[in-house]
Amino acid sequence: MLTQTETFVPQTEPESREPDPRTINTVRDRNDRIFRVGLSSTGIAVLAIMVAVGVFLGVQAFDALSETGVSFLTTTEWEPDRGRFGIGSVLLGTVLIALVAIAIAIPISLGTALFITNIAPARFRGILVSLVDLMAAVPSVVYGLWGLFFFQPGVIGLSRWISTWFGWIPIFSVEGAESNSALPNASAFTASAFIAGVVVALMVMPIQSSVMREVFSQVPLGEREGAFALGATRWGAIRVVSLPFARGGIIGGTMLGLGRALGETIAVLLIISPSFDIKFRILETGGNSVSSLIALGYKEASSFGLSALMAAGLALFAMTLVVNFIASAFVARSRSGASSEA
Amino acid sequence: MKKVWALVLFGLVASVIGASGPSAEAQASYQRISGEGSSWSAVAIDAMRVNVKQFGITVDYNPSGSSAGRKNFLNGTVDYAASDIPFQFQPEDGSAPENPAPGSYAYIPVTAGGTSFIYNLKINGQRVTNLRLSGENVTKLFTGAITRWNDPAIAADNPGLTMPDRPVVPVVRSDGSGSTAQFTRWMISQHGPLWNDYCRRSGRAPACGATSTYPTITGMKAQAGDLGITGYVTQGFAEGSIGYVNYSYAIGSRFPVAKVLNKAGFYTEPSPTNVSVSLLKARINTDAASPNYLTQILDDVYNDTDPRNYQLSSYSYFILPTTIRGQFNAAKGRTLGAFTYYAMCQAQQQSASLGYSPLPINLVSSSLEQIRKIPGVEVQSVDVKSCNNPTFSPDGTNLLAKNAPFPSDCDKINVTQCAAGTGGAAGQPTATNSGAGSAGGSGAGAAGAEAAAAATAASGTDCDPATEDCSVVNSAGGSNSLASAIPVSLAAPGGWTSSQTLTLLVVLLLAMVIVGPAIGIQYFSKRNQK
Repeated sequence: MLTQTETFVPQTEPESREPDPRTINTVRDRNDRIFRVGLSSTGIAVLAIMVAVGVFLGVQAFDALSETGVSFLTTTEWEPDRGRFGIGSVLLGTVLIALVAIAIAIPISLGTALFITNIAPARFRGILVSLVDLMAAVPSVVYGLWGLFFFQPGVIGLSRWISTWFGWIPIFSVEGAESNSALPNASAFTASAFIAGVVVALMVMPIQSSVMREVFSQVPLGEREGAFALGATRWGAIRVVSLPFARGGIIGGTMLGLGRALGETIAVLLIISPSFDIKFRILETGGNSVSSLIALGYKEASSFGLSALMAAGLALFAMTLVVNFIASAFVARSRSGASSEA
Repeated sequence: MKKVWALVLFGLVASVIGASGPSAEAQASYQRISGEGSSWSAVAIDAMRVNVKQFGITVDYNPSGSSAGRKNFLNGTVDYAASDIPFQFQPEDGSAPENPAPGSYAYIPVTAGGTSFIYNLKINGQRVTNLRLSGENVTKLFTGAITRWNDPAIAADNPGLTMPDRPVVPVVRSDGSGSTAQFTRWMISQHGPLWNDYCRRSGRAPACGATSTYPTITGMKAQAGDLGITGYVTQGFAEGSIGYVNYSYAIGSRFPVAKVLNKAGFYTEPSPTNVSVSLLKARINTDAASPNYLTQILDDVYNDTDPRNYQLSSYSYFILPTTIRGQFNAAKGRTLGAFTYYAMCQAQQQSASLGYSPLPINLVSSSLEQIRKIPGVEVQSVDVKSCNNPTFSPDGTNLLAKNAPFPSDCDKINVTQCAAGTGGAAGQPTATNSGAGSAGGSGAGAAGAEAAAAATAASGTDCDPATEDCSVVNSAGGSNSLASAIPVSLAAPGGWTSSQTLTLLVVLLLAMVIVGPAIGIQYFSKRNQK
């Protein structure tokens, strides 16, 4: 069905010194109007749902927030029924786990995306793409159980190595490791923010990788071939052409992954041993995250405790929203190809 | 001929169903009921639900946690609830009080169990399967008062073992749970000062009370669910860890549980029979004016002097409505009545195989009285005689008290400990420093390895009280020069066994699942292009 758009051009005086801009009058037909209304209402519905989630969390959290006020952000304990609760340590734990995840996921996903788009033979590309996408399709509880029973025993050795040689850096030090003892204490390294972060990294990697791969595949062929024509090596072409062009996409993909890492629940819940101290020692037992706090606590929560959990959820919601907005801004910029001019 | 057999079979099945269950014509009118609550007793309740389906009774159950169950029972959104602790009128952990209308509910026990302590400990690379702990030491282990396994207090409990110099890693529940509530209630009752001191140190001033979320300190692990605790403790790196779980998890993971000292001076295991015997001493609060009306009073269980007593025995409740309310009506009451009758009697037959303990006679007879209060219930002529509960016989004799095995002499305090394994490791004896049985004591203090060479003879007293299996030690030893000389390493058997074959199969299948679709897509898209 064709859309008719009629344009009326009013008469203008040829001698007038300053020509008035003509007024354009658009008349849409019925189909066009239905289409526009349909699209805009779905768009609004998405926004409305987001707002509804936010409002719901806000209303539910009101009881708890009105009791603590600003100290909700700084208190490190979690005993809502005694009136002492806050997300100081929990929020820090969430961010630490997400940062570990991102730090590990970026090199892997960037490498994967570059390999698939620039290096892998064309006939393997499809397989590799489906493999990475399949990683994203594995349920997070599977990652969690796998991390708990299979991965954790293996990572202890790495954790011990890092803490032995880099323990002088405060975040890598571990208390109670007893590394000089004849019976070293492996338990000091288990259930740590680091292990949770590594597992979350594997869950975040496919998303990051597919966003980056999408952007790398948009790199103008002419520019790449130009680089090769000028004698660039494959690494040179990637460095000079692909990476600068895809900078927005890389940042955007990273932020999307960060958003998911912040909200990851079940894998973190299974692995981490919840603690409510402010601590930066990521290799050491204990940590926390907002989503696992909620998942662990809601079953046995009183109505006020539930309100407190909602408040924690609201904080996480706000944080994830900000991260995702920044991400989508970057992704939108990179799709237009504007970053290739930089 | 075939037809005849089929008919006979059909007739048999029909008669069995007709005889054992509520009458067939009643089936159509059982209204569906729903419940919610304890995850601790969920396995037992699920088994009951499946079994009553054959009588046309459909019962739903959502194991979302005891607190959620009580909350939704008060809201009237479920017909019954299951909870590990009664309604909290004056919660000790600071949460908001629950106020059900007096007389609108009744408690009956669902299933019983003992809080079991699963541990991972090795001496010279050999797994310890016969650890013994006094109640005070259990409390100290879980409150950070004992931090190393070679603490003199633990060595005193285990004269036959040379405890290693390893840090203790207590593993507790990170989610709110009835097991935690039952464990902390026991600690408060028996070792109050230790527990209150721990509460202060963990930052939960002034006192935690009996709580369903365990307060943690540095050095402790908190894991989600019984599965999380078992999963942690049973891994190779977790040497020195000890956690509290349902007995069935220790059996399932083939790991030992600690024997706990009772007031009779015996170290006992939380085996189904021991727990049932212990609960014979459970009293039920019959003071209708008390807010704790119908709840369990376990002081006599804690202080029981029966040698078979396991101190940390307890049971969880069904909460039943005794008035028409919310979505609950008399028709549903009829279903609930039939279901709970079944739960008290027949269903207890399989408790032991599910890792729980059957309810003893005193609890069953008092709950049969409570079931009568459900509105709409068809009061069955169920009494102790026709109940079919495994702990007592049709003539009302308490079979349990008569038949439950007594602990062997080597389980006695101050006597060199039994070599026989416990829990899921019942078949693996542990080398002890001196001869088993009451004859021992001479070699105490020697290192495990030396003792292995100097082991003395086995005696008949090495029976495992739970399984009555006296042959374990001897057959494993192969001769009379027994116990201590036997290597008990779990990982030792090398070579290709069925588990390796299975692992390979699983890996291959997984690889196919992961790689298969991608290759398939690739292959077919190629063909289409041509």
